[in-house]
Amino acid sequence: MNKEISDHNLGLYLHWPFCESKCGYCDFYSVPLKGRDVAPLLDAFAIDLRSRVAECDKQIDTIFWGGGTPTTLEDDNLSIALGHIQNATSNHPIREFTIEANPATVDERKAATLVDLGVTRVSLGAQSFHQNELSALERLHTPRDVPEAIRIIRAAGITHYNIDLIFGIGGQTLASWQESLARAVELEPPHLACYGLTYEHGTSLTKQLKLGHIEACDEQLEADMFLACKDYLERCGYEQYELSNYAKPGHQCLHNLIYWKNGSYQAVGPSAAGCLGNIRFKNVSDINEYIRLINSNGHAIADREIIGETERALEGLMMRMRLIDGLDLADFLRCTGINLIENCRNAIARLTDSELIVCDESKLRMTRRGLLMADTVIRELASELDPPSGMSLNVVASRPIGDA
Amino acid sequence: MTDLTHIRNFAIVAHIDHGKSTLADRLMEHAGAVSKRELKAQMLDDMDLEREMGITIKANRCSMKYKFEGEEYLLNLLDTPGHVDFHYEVSRALTACEGVLLLVDAAQGVQAQTVANAYLAVEAATEIIPVINKIDLPGAHPEDCALELEHVLGIPADEAIFTSAKTGQGIDELFAAIIKRMPPPAPDPEDKLRALVYDAKNDVHRGVITHVRLFGGTMKRGDKMRFVAAGSERIVTEVGKFTPKPGAVDSLSAGDVGYVLASIKTIADVNIGDTITLAHNPTTRPLPGYQAPQQMVFCDFFPGPGTETPDLRDAFEKLWLNDSSFTYETTSSDALGIGFRCGFLGLLHMKIIQERLEREGDVNIVQTAPTVTYEVELKDGTVMHIESPSELPDLSVVADIREPICKASVIVPAAYIGDVLKISLERRGTHSKTEYLSPTRVMLNFEFPLGEIIYDYYDRLKSATKGYGTADYDVTGFRSDNLVKLDILVNAMPVDALSVIVHRDKAANRGRRLIQRLKKEISRHQFEIPLQAAIGGKIIARETIAAMRKDVTAKCYGGDISRKRKLLEKQKEGKKRMKQVGMVAIPQGAFMSILDPGD
Ligand SMILES: Nc1nc2c(ncn2[C@@H]2O[C@H](COP(=O)(O)OP(=O)(O)O)[C@@H](O)[C@H]2O)c(=O)[nH]1
Ligand code: SF4
Repeated sequence: MNKEISDHNLGLYLHWPFCESKCGYCDFYSVPLKGRDVAPLLDAFAIDLRSRVAECDKQIDTIFWGGGTPTTLEDDNLSIALGHIQNATSNHPIREFTIEANPATVDERKAATLVDLGVTRVSLGAQSFHQNELSALERLHTPRDVPEAIRIIRAAGITHYNIDLIFGIGGQTLASWQESLARAVELEPPHLACYGLTYEHGTSLTKQLKLGHIEACDEQLEADMFLACKDYLERCGYEQYELSNYAKPGHQCLHNLIYWKNGSYQAVGPSAAGCLGNIRFKNVSDINEYIRLINSNGHAIADREIIGETERALEGLMMRMRLIDGLDLADFLRCTGINLIENCRNAIARLTDSELIVCDESKLRMTRRGLLMADTVIRELASELDPPSGMSLNVVASRPIGDA
Repeated sequence: MTDLTHIRNFAIVAHIDHGKSTLADRLMEHAGAVSKRELKAQMLDDMDLEREMGITIKANRCSMKYKFEGEEYLLNLLDTPGHVDFHYEVSRALTACEGVLLLVDAAQGVQAQTVANAYLAVEAATEIIPVINKIDLPGAHPEDCALELEHVLGIPADEAIFTSAKTGQGIDELFAAIIKRMPPPAPDPEDKLRALVYDAKNDVHRGVITHVRLFGGTMKRGDKMRFVAAGSERIVTEVGKFTPKPGAVDSLSAGDVGYVLASIKTIADVNIGDTITLAHNPTTRPLPGYQAPQQMVFCDFFPGPGTETPDLRDAFEKLWLNDSSFTYETTSSDALGIGFRCGFLGLLHMKIIQERLEREGDVNIVQTAPTVTYEVELKDGTVMHIESPSELPDLSVVADIREPICKASVIVPAAYIGDVLKISLERRGTHSKTEYLSPTRVMLNFEFPLGEIIYDYYDRLKSATKGYGTADYDVTGFRSDNLVKLDILVNAMPVDALSVIVHRDKAANRGRRLIQRLKKEISRHQFEIPLQAAIGGKIIARETIAAMRKDVTAKCYGGDISRKRKLLEKQKEGKKRMKQVGMVAIPQGAFMSILDPGD
């Protein structure tokens, strides 16, 4: 009854809710550290971690520790946290353990600690190599901090690292974007994530935009930046495998692939979201409340949702189409019982006519133009997606909450 | 059997919310027809939708016994709908009565529908008893209300009965008035069966329940009856009365109100207004039939995404079994495909039918903007009626286009006269009369082209008068004017469902505003969309919806999935009300934008 969309095992997502300061575009749950005592959170984190991992009936093979910025932890606390993670997952064959870091938050000591305690991959938030753009994004570090951080990471022996970049910043030009890309490529990252700036609800940048204090990037320019990025990185030997993600062969992020293939992942930490089979849950987004709940209940889950077959199919479509490789029709049929070609006949015809997608017997894939219009494509397909009748019955028959 | 002198057939008419349902409940309770507990739910409004919209759509009724001065009377109450769109249904019920209670809210005073209903009662020649209700309210001024009635309708103020349907005050006095003032049914010298069909309802188990008022003769189970106009004959399987639940009786006789069952499958087999008589002993004096309902407002229903034309047809057929007050017929639009052209009594009626179709038939409907019937005279002298601008023949053969005109009466506090005149003149209204009901309240009479007021006139009136204004209209005929057809092209494709017939003086302005509205309604696509307004092939206005260059969510990871999916579900829901025209998705709101006459 609960068909697996992903062939993967299980991922483990950990959320650390502290940063040096809040970036202007960020809507993750994170708060400025400001000399806070992290000990109570570390303790709660450890309890949460142990019980969540103990609950897994499958092998965890990827870990992603994000946030927030885990590397804002002082070296001793970083060791303690990583020790908890290592202990909790010692029986699991971890293939990839990513930690998120910001330039100017990693030094040699911390880098050595990371390597010693099992971290295999570092994702570095560089965002831009121009000071004016970093300031516009309300980032603390300088362009010079980036190569330094990469040097430290590499010196410690980490070969698997990612650099995050942002385009579409107000005031950014195509030339400055291309320069940031080139500077990043010089640092030979095996993986790059290039995000179009999004004005998320409630962020500082969104407020400034609404007040007219800043201007959004021109849409056409943003589209040009997207394609320029794709073309340049492909020339440099990277493969775009997801709308915003590029990797050298063999360096795709296994953990993130779990999300895009609708696999299962455990979640630990305030505001962390997990999904086990057809149950999705989210921890409370408040540090004190998180600590209180962990200490009194052993878990801090605030929202739980059973994903019915219909929702699952919609999610499958929405996430799979983000992968450049496309959506495997036979696989989709097997997982959801839906023959997409039949089901979305009109939308597929329209999208094919507009040259936004191509469709052969085995796959549905975006064209170059389609990538720029991915949301339109997904919306069009979703609007026609109709699960075969009788499906809703399965929702009633799904397992009770907590019986994951 | 009760002799005629001890029978009273009556209805309650009122402006909406003046307390008709509550008063009906109180009457039944006082007469002992129902207990207080049974009345917990206002039982006269028995359809979900009616309850939701706060109006009574189908007439309900109750026969009750009442002891007065030592004698027992049979009082038959017919409930009537209370909304302006249902003049026709009210008139059906009134013809079956000898008297009406004209109910007025003591705090609100006379309203537009009070007047309209009173006119219908006068037309049906029934005895009117004015009832001023809600006298328990702190703001009640019953004497003033009675004076208002005297002013507008000439009903002497001292004839009014003061009641509170809430507390029961005045109810006994009201019963006395019903018995003393209303005439009993007139005896019929002929003694042949003459039963007036005034309503019909479909019951899944029992077939069509035909509601009748007997003017002469008797009928009972086993009789072979004949519908005089339809000419069809049936065997009566049951006769009964509503008390208020339907219950079988041995027979119905002259003066009675009740129902007949005769194994009738569809409502279409029963003509409201027809006379039933006995096949072997037919009357030679059938009752004057009712007027057929006059559908004046038309629009098209097209299947929305997920719904196919046959599904929609099924839904129509199913609903039609229960309600024949609207019309529907297949239509096809170049832009929108196969759908149905529907006729309604008014806009509220349209909304109710649409919601019932969607709910009971499980279909998605994309609706075009309502239009009115136009009368077109061709150069060869033929006169035709068109129900949609797209039916307008080529202008080279058209001699004259005439639009439906209605008389409207608007009742407002005197302070708002200026505002009401303003919004009315904007809608090409002509003001004919101002009548003071009292020093502070006036009735304004207008003549409007129906097409100018069908959409939002009531809403505008309400907001211009802080909710105090009420209006009622009656269509009086057709009148010629300088009218032209305005065509709208989306992405170079004429969309017939968007064309409108407008006055030439207003055409250019209207066309410009219309495509500006469309520009807001239609979201950007991955290509540029030109919007044009044209009269007779000549483009008079143009706008462009810019192409969307980029539409992609940058980040989508584990924590985003749920939220993004919900957004997608919402968009999917919105899509249900869009219509794909070529490559462009036009939302429901766009079809309605042609109704916006602007300020
Ligand atoms: N205070 C008071 N309220 C009343 C009276 N009669 C009706 N109402 C209230 O007025 C509202 C409208 O009554 P209803 O019978 O539904 O009106 P209808 O639309 O004419 O059927 C309801 O909230 C009733 O409870 C009355 O005599 N006194
Ligand atoms: S460092 Fe990352 S998580 Fe922290 S505020 Fe900035 S963007 Fe958000």
